[in-house]
Amino acid sequence: MGVNEKFNPIRKGLLEFLLLKIIAADKVYVADILRQLRDTEFATQEGTLYPLLSKMRREKLLDYEWKESDAGPPRKYYQLTAKGREQLRETTEYWQKISGTVKDLGRPSAD
Amino acid sequence: MNKVVTIHLRGAAFQLEEAGYDALRAYLDGATRRLGGNPDRDEIIADIEQAIADKCRAVLGAYKNVVVAAEINQIIDEMGPVQDAAAEGEERPAGGADSAPGAGAAAADAAPPPRTRRLYKLHDGAMFAGVCNGLAVYFGIDPTIVRLLFVLLTFFWGFAILVYLILMIILPSPETTAEKAAAYGIPATAQEFIRRAREGYYEGMRTWRDRRAHREWRRRFKREMRGWGRRLRDEVRAEAYHAAAAAVPASWAPGPSPSGMPPAAPPFGLLFILPLVAILRGALAVVCFFSVISLLATRTVFGVAPPANMPLWVALVLLLVFFTIISWPLKALRHACYWHAGRAPYFVSPIFWFVDAVVGLGCAVLAIWLIDRYVPHAHEALQALPSILHHAVDTVKQWWGTR
Repeated sequence: MGVNEKFNPIRKGLLEFLLLKIIAADKVYVADILRQLRDTEFATQEGTLYPLLSKMRREKLLDYEWKESDAGPPRKYYQLTAKGREQLRETTEYWQKISGTVKDLGRPSAD
Repeated sequence: MNKVVTIHLRGAAFQLEEAGYDALRAYLDGATRRLGGNPDRDEIIADIEQAIADKCRAVLGAYKNVVVAAEINQIIDEMGPVQDAAAEGEERPAGGADSAPGAGAAAADAAPPPRTRRLYKLHDGAMFAGVCNGLAVYFGIDPTIVRLLFVLLTFFWGFAILVYLILMIILPSPETTAEKAAAYGIPATAQEFIRRAREGYYEGMRTWRDRRAHREWRRRFKREMRGWGRRLRDEVRAEAYHAAAAAVPASWAPGPSPSGMPPAAPPFGLLFILPLVAILRGALAVVCFFSVISLLATRTVFGVAPPANMPLWVALVLLLVFFTIISWPLKALRHACYWHAGRAPYFVSPIFWFVDAVVGLGCAVLAIWLIDRYVPHAHEALQALPSILHHAVDTVKQWWGTR
């Protein structure tokens, strides 16, 4: 099993955090989200994204509104709720703690 | 040149190649099933259909108005398997990346999901009610073998028909795609359906609807069966001669000894032995019938329960096999009697058939009446019989309706 597969669960767990980040930056629709993730390690697909977004909406982290588009039918544009922003703040803090730990562990101590 | 199927996704019509349609249907059915317990299921499916519609639109142009199968497969690959984010940890999608917590998750991903099978009637590609098909899938053998076994058993011992009819009544039909998958022991994931669709797994279903191919196929089957029947009859006849020569001691056999020439007229003693054999056989058949009914109705054979962990159908089959074995000597005896009548076992004078049938029937009626009168279990079973028959008729009707 390669590193890639070993990190599958971690990547998947982080997806929600990344969605919060993406949606916090701008009102987006699903194709935007997929495009932003496409070239990263977190590339994903509609089949995963739609159920996850619907779950987050049920948890009142985000909401959507229908908007007319120039090409094709109206689209769902997602945005964060206050609870979603709060969650993003907490998760960011936690993530910084985690990555700090990952960086510091195993180093020769300063003293 | 391929057939196209017109569908609509979120209010827009698309023309898909038929194979593509099948794959898409399977994908969406799989998605719906995976999202079974999700309160937002309909909304997610709507979103997914919308996304598919957008992708279809992207491959169409002014002079291209059909989405071909390869494009649909491409689109489905792009969409990826639908995974219920809410139900994670409870149901692990096969093969897909998973977020179940803990270090064990990675190891579990590598192992194939356990396959548990259930016995169902399978109508896809079935010849009759799908019993043989279901059995074949359950045991993982070719359905043709199971069918041949049934045909053979029917020829040698008529009980196979009874087994078939009973299995037809008690086996459930898979109603959902998930149940259908359970019959095969394969998780009902979208990928699995698509893989099967790609392999032409559902081709058979399509030709089934094609009247002419169907008729041609049935003609061939009948012809083959007739050939089988002739050969089997010959074999049975030869078998009976041997059995008679071996099994009937000269001492109690009426008439001249087997080694002698067949007598010109049927020996008189035959008129006593044949009815006796018929009575015994009739009684045995009745007991067998009531054991089956009792097993179905009360899960016990006249008060004796099969082992608790034994499935009902296994108990049933064992019971029938048991009775078949018991009745075998009687059958051999009857064949021997016919042999003594100086004719081949299946071509005796109609008077014997008549006596055989009348006495047998009489025994059956008498025995049913007696058992109904004196065995309370059987009485209850008889009371339940109309509903069982009703169910059987419904099954036949449904089967007829699905054709």
